[in-house]
Amino acid sequence: MRLDTLRVILNSISKNAMIMAATLLTPVIALAADVIEPPKEQSLANWDWVTILTWVLGLLVILVIARAFDIGALTEKITGKKVVSWNNVNAWIAIIFLIAGLAGVWYELVYHGKYLMLGNSASAHGDTYDSMFYWTFGFTFFVFVVTEVLLFYFMFKYRYDEKRKAHYYFHNNNLEIIWTVVPSIVLTFLVLRGFTTWSKITGELDKESEEIEVFAYQFGWKARYAGDDNILGYHNVNFISGTNPLGIAETNAVAELVTELEGEIAKLEGLQETEGDSIKAWSTRWDRMKSTGLYRTYPEDYKTLDEKLHDGLSGAYGRQLEKDIKRKKTAIRRIAEYQKDKDFFNGSANDDKVTTEIVLVKNKPYVFKFRARDVIHSAYMPDFRVQMNCVPGMPTQFAFTPTMTTAEARDVKGNNEYDYYLFCNKICGAAHYNMKIKVTVVESEAEYNTWYASQAPFVAPTTAETSEPAEEQVAPSADSTQIVIDNQVAINK
Amino acid sequence: MSTAALHADEHHADHHHKESFISKYVFSMDHKMISKQFLITGIIMGTVGLIMSLLFRLQLAWPDEQFSFMETLLGKWAVDGKLDPNFYMGLVTIHGTIMVFYVLTAGLSGTFSNLLIPLQVGARDMASPFMNMLSYWFFFLSSVTLLISVFIETGPASGGWTVYPPLSALEKAMPGSGLGMTLWLSAIALFIISSLLGGINYISTVLNMRTKGMSMNRMPLTIWAFFFTAILGVLSFPVLLGAALFLIFDRSFGTSFYLSDIYLEGVGALENIGGSPVLYQHLFWFLGHPEVYIILMPALGITSEVISCNARKPIFGYTAMVISLLGISFLSFIVWGHHMFITGMNPFLGSVFMILTLIIAVPSAVKAFNYLTTLWKGNLRFTPAMLFSIGLVSFFISGGLTGIYLGNAALDIQLHDSYFVVAHFHLVMGSAAIFGMFAGIYHWFPKMYGRMLNNTLGYFHFWLTFISAYLVFFPMHFMGLAGVPRRYYQFTLVKEFDVWMDVNVLMTVGALIGGFAQLFFLYNFFYSIFRGKKATQNPWNSNSLEWSAPVERIHGNWPGEIPTVYRGPYEYSRPDRELDYFPQYEQDESAPEVLKTEKSKTSPAEKEEAESSVFFAAIKKVFGLS
Ligand code: HEM
Ligand SMILES: [Cu+2]
Ligand SMILES: [Cu+2]
Repeated sequence: MRLDTLRVILNSISKNAMIMAATLLTPVIALAADVIEPPKEQSLANWDWVTILTWVLGLLVILVIARAFDIGALTEKITGKKVVSWNNVNAWIAIIFLIAGLAGVWYELVYHGKYLMLGNSASAHGDTYDSMFYWTFGFTFFVFVVTEVLLFYFMFKYRYDEKRKAHYYFHNNNLEIIWTVVPSIVLTFLVLRGFTTWSKITGELDKESEEIEVFAYQFGWKARYAGDDNILGYHNVNFISGTNPLGIAETNAVAELVTELEGEIAKLEGLQETEGDSIKAWSTRWDRMKSTGLYRTYPEDYKTLDEKLHDGLSGAYGRQLEKDIKRKKTAIRRIAEYQKDKDFFNGSANDDKVTTEIVLVKNKPYVFKFRARDVIHSAYMPDFRVQMNCVPGMPTQFAFTPTMTTAEARDVKGNNEYDYYLFCNKICGAAHYNMKIKVTVVESEAEYNTWYASQAPFVAPTTAETSEPAEEQVAPSADSTQIVIDNQVAINK
Repeated sequence: MSTAALHADEHHADHHHKESFISKYVFSMDHKMISKQFLITGIIMGTVGLIMSLLFRLQLAWPDEQFSFMETLLGKWAVDGKLDPNFYMGLVTIHGTIMVFYVLTAGLSGTFSNLLIPLQVGARDMASPFMNMLSYWFFFLSSVTLLISVFIETGPASGGWTVYPPLSALEKAMPGSGLGMTLWLSAIALFIISSLLGGINYISTVLNMRTKGMSMNRMPLTIWAFFFTAILGVLSFPVLLGAALFLIFDRSFGTSFYLSDIYLEGVGALENIGGSPVLYQHLFWFLGHPEVYIILMPALGITSEVISCNARKPIFGYTAMVISLLGISFLSFIVWGHHMFITGMNPFLGSVFMILTLIIAVPSAVKAFNYLTTLWKGNLRFTPAMLFSIGLVSFFISGGLTGIYLGNAALDIQLHDSYFVVAHFHLVMGSAAIFGMFAGIYHWFPKMYGRMLNNTLGYFHFWLTFISAYLVFFPMHFMGLAGVPRRYYQFTLVKEFDVWMDVNVLMTVGALIGGFAQLFFLYNFFYSIFRGKKATQNPWNSNSLEWSAPVERIHGNWPGEIPTVYRGPYEYSRPDRELDYFPQYEQDESAPEVLKTEKSKTSPAEKEEAESSVFFAAIKKVFGLS
């Protein structure tokens, strides 16, 4: 027996020596790595394979430590004495975890609590919203703390004890009824309150509301104001063109587009006629590149050519041409249908203004009409508690009244660069993370009017008016993100 | 003995010849082997999903850094060591898909339904071992297809795991919507077939192949959970298949189920007219919501079993637990609209879905309270399985409570698609279900491999994972409340989000710790398969039937007759017994006598059985059982 004990202890020592050696070795390897290649700057970004190797070694060390605990367990078995009582250790960690966890939650609430619901809301319905939120928060936070405390406390209090037998307690109808009924009552309260809040937000429109169209596309936003007639003109996807990015129903722009489309169709039909020749030409070039070895010098060109030739030979090229022509013809046909409807082109679109920024007046009711050009986007204005999806083919809307100007928000936040934004909040492609438009709330109609006058209407008025001098412009200058500009350029091309 | 069992016996008899490697380990029809196949595939997929999450967490924490190893790893997707935005989206999408479907649906249900249903109800194997084998191999093909999609030139599907059209329908809208999306759809179609084959099997085994004495009200809660889960899957997955088929038509055959009025940059106006992208969302979430319970319920079932066994105490309110599961299952089919409050659907519909959604909170609350009461005055043995189960309860509470915010249509206006949602589902669905899975692995490893996992490594694994999960997912609530959108590649382009930089770093450090902690598990798991301590027949002194089977895991499960069941599975610490457990399969003549003489000691369990018999009679009627 004693011999066994000795062997175990020796074993354990030798293992521990291994651990120590490995522990010592880790920094040595790290150091060696630095000597071989001096670190550029101490940051995670400079990880390379040697560092990773060091890490792996570190992990191994920890595994060895863990194995060493096994040795401990074996020692226990042989000597009959407890080295580590995991029963107690786990119970104590549970208590420490509970205390540290609650402290962490408290710290977060204090530290990040000021961002809870972004402080004060900037819209009329936002206050109703926030009160709904705080009611829910109150209930759930209470339940959270009580149940989690009980859970970990039970874990500590009722840890295993050989001498004790668990309480044989199968069920208790009264208890179960209580905790079915009490949550039901609380939830009924929350549902009713949620219901009224929701109805208030989505309910009847204020008749005075001003309509603004918010248009989403990969990857940017545009706004359309109704102009002097207060009517947003009609629109249709088939009208969208470089000069008419929102596809609004304006006679000349649409006629221009038809001409453009007809030109493109003619071009495509030309390509269709020469399809055979093109393929032959590609084939010749391909052969030349192959035989002269040029394909090695210009791999990119070769690849494009190869693909083209492949499409040509397989017929994909021809089919694509046919498809494009058909699509454009459909567009022309659909446009023609609309053109027959004189009411559609009633001129109300002519004075509409398309802007790259949204400017609103404080305390004025608005209804945003959302539209998407290509995929689903979502208009998200957290400061105003506003969100609504923008769905291609399905108009949506959201009504709200801003109650805090940008200037006031800057005061409240103590940040004189703060701006409201409308973000995209539905995954829509690679630049989703940068799809936003600035929203400015101004104090008075006058400020708004100055800004509004500086925006060009969709169709320039026939009698050239002298525009306002630039110095008088009070509203912040248009802050279109780079991507918006890029897209504008792309569309205009 | 029932005829089914008799039949299985004959079947068993002519299986004594030696099996070839292929029929034993590859195309096996033994439910225990199939369960291990599901588990190991699940672990591999889980590791892939985990590594993906670490990659994009690095991006979120240090968006301006260049990680040279990333370029080594990802090539053109990380030129100069900086993740490409398209590939970032791809990683997020595949991470979500893997975790939801491959790990927590197939990996969890596939493993434990397969292992436990026959063993715990007392059957020789599944109703159809052949279909069971097909179920695994469809899953395998599906996994391979999904993994392949990560390596193609245009990148994997990148429209989020929900793959909403038109983004996912139009190749020109995003590179990942090309071949990557085609592969994603094929993978999901294969997956659905696998899931249906499995589900039908689970349902018929539970209904038809229970051993003598195993009435429905004596089934362990694991079986109830697997049973309801299978029903949910069988009823809801076909709808996803339909949704996917329509999407395939739209993508390849020019139909317009989901498309209308679209203008694409560089292409022009499309011809599609009359479709509705919102239709897809209805179809998707008709599966999608039950799916979260398909993930969670098996984990809850496992937890019930593990907590009761290791608290040495009957599960509190067995009937209430079953009714809650039933209620959750039923309600989960009529709440899908809570994912769509702000799609522009009729606000009145939103109100209806809000009410239905918040009703689900009641059975969930009952479950949480019943777990707490089960722990109360128990005698808690902290096996790693027990710790993971307690962790599950903790996550179930903290993640479940935020569901009350998100189910409220009004509150969802602000919270939808924000980081608050990410926090919510990672706690209640991600972490809770993963913990249930770990609990199951630690608890039934001896049943799978005849060896024990190392406890000490289990403790390291548990505490590090538990702490890191809270570290990663809890701060996300605060970001979400402050209006930080999810699925953003980086936050540096929006000044307002700068304040969250340090939180992002904290969460990534948490994730790295969590990822590291899984090494303890992987090592422990694979080491113990070969070198772990040999298990005894009933290592946890558990009551349920699977522990009456020999350690050797033979084909047909029991060498002789299938044991008869005499009582419910949760008779722990009965005051009239010396031992603190009383196996279901143990016949004890003396016990009823004791009960008879002492009037007050009528076993509450039996009382409960009588009380609940109305409920079970109704269930039996519904399923046409005698
Ligand atoms: C180490 C563990 C994990 C980490 C660090 C992690 C982290 C993340 C992050 C940062 C996102 C992106 C959020 C966004 O931008 O929308 C995400 C998405 C997601 N994760 Fe995890 N996650 C982990 C484990 C899990 C688990 C266990 C599940 C199982 C349910 C899961 C399911 C998802 C899903 C469904 C998404 C959404 C994907 C999408 O937006 O399409 N994750 N995860
Ligand atoms: Cu977008
Ligand atoms: Cu849901």
